[in-house]
Amino acid sequence: MSTLTASARRPLFPRGPGLGLKALVLCLLALGAILTDTRTQALAPLRGGLTWLLQPVLWVAGLPSRVAGTAEHLQTRESLVEENAVLRENQLLLQSRLLRIEALEMENHRLRELLASSSQLEERVLVAEILSASQDPYRQQIVLSKGAREGVYKGQALVDAQGVLGQVISVTSSTSTALLLTDPNHGIPVEINRTGLQTIALGSGDGQSLSLPYLPGTADVKVGDLLVSSALGGRFPAGYPVGRITELKHDAGEHFMEALATPAAQLNRGRQALLVWSESFPVEPKPPDAAEPTPDGVP
Amino acid sequence: MTDHAPRLMIVFTLAVALVLQLIELPYALAVLRPLFVPLVLVYWVMVVPQPTGLFTAWITGLLLDALLGSVLGQHALGLTVMVFVTLQVRGILSLYPIWQEALALTGVWLLYSLVMFWVDGATGHYADPWLQWLPILTTGLCWPPAFALMNALTRRTQHDPLAL
Repeated sequence: MSTLTASARRPLFPRGPGLGLKALVLCLLALGAILTDTRTQALAPLRGGLTWLLQPVLWVAGLPSRVAGTAEHLQTRESLVEENAVLRENQLLLQSRLLRIEALEMENHRLRELLASSSQLEERVLVAEILSASQDPYRQQIVLSKGAREGVYKGQALVDAQGVLGQVISVTSSTSTALLLTDPNHGIPVEINRTGLQTIALGSGDGQSLSLPYLPGTADVKVGDLLVSSALGGRFPAGYPVGRITELKHDAGEHFMEALATPAAQLNRGRQALLVWSESFPVEPKPPDAAEPTPDGVP
Repeated sequence: MTDHAPRLMIVFTLAVALVLQLIELPYALAVLRPLFVPLVLVYWVMVVPQPTGLFTAWITGLLLDALLGSVLGQHALGLTVMVFVTLQVRGILSLYPIWQEALALTGVWLLYSLVMFWVDGATGHYADPWLQWLPILTTGLCWPPAFALMNALTRRTQHDPLAL
């Protein structure tokens, strides 16, 4: 605060001795923060505190989109009645499917029990509000309203009603940050639903598409093929839609071809997302607990 | 009172800059979004060098890091370097006409952006190699109107002994 309180009493010539030194110290502090933040989780509470402090700023910055959202609510009565009818129809349709699914689920459960399989069909999910989206166009992240208190963990999968959204990359006690599928740093193991071919879909960074660069030149892939998540990475639950192939690029003579896909999830719409607990990750940090008894038991 | 008025004004304008940095924009506009926070900080360094210290820049940078979800310290480093350089050159710059000043300050924002890109690269985050230069240009273009607007807002001729 010393810089702030040194008032405008001595207005001329700010270049007093020590300005360079001050700048150097602050730069070193910033570098230290960068190193600590990339290597460890030690600064997570600080980040949480700052975010809490900045809630008013976030609230004001969110106003325009909220106002736009309210305008949507001011619809005519007819359009609401119409929408209601469509939704009712949909609900009936889904209800009838659900009846069949419940029966199938039970059957599957019994069959799995017969096979003594440990994997479960139903997964634990939690609805989280999307608090904010990163406004840096090159950093596709969203902040969610659920954190470590609700059992959210780093690496957890995030889905919406249409498909996989992304995964959690950092958790504070009450919020968490997720990386979207289309971020250039994101990759997800996928399976082509029609053929069962396993490959990896990377974010292309433009916010709208995924790229599949590791397809063999002879792979059986068509435009319109559905990509579903694969459990191979141990991170995403299997079977959620990821996207649809929209374009195939195969240069003659190349051993590999590249495919482009559009994500199934509505990445930049919606206010809620589902956090999914997949089977391979424990809900509570069990491995440390499980590991503890052995050293205790040995002596 | 003259002592406190600019300080309140600084906090207020920086808060506004943070909000402008965060407001949702369509993709086509978001790539053109000027660097509001560096713009406001440079304004205060140019106009009232004393209370807008390096420390203010550092704290603002840390807040920006928390808001944007970048590595903590990234913007703090960039803004500190930027303010330091601006403090070194402000005496010369204020003698030039506004458009030349804008041109020279674009260099300052370029330096800030280079620090950002360097930290991005060092921490393993890659951005679009071409579009990321656009905000520097738009910030330079925004300098003359922003300067006039901020002057009108703060009526600095009444307060500032340095008014030329």
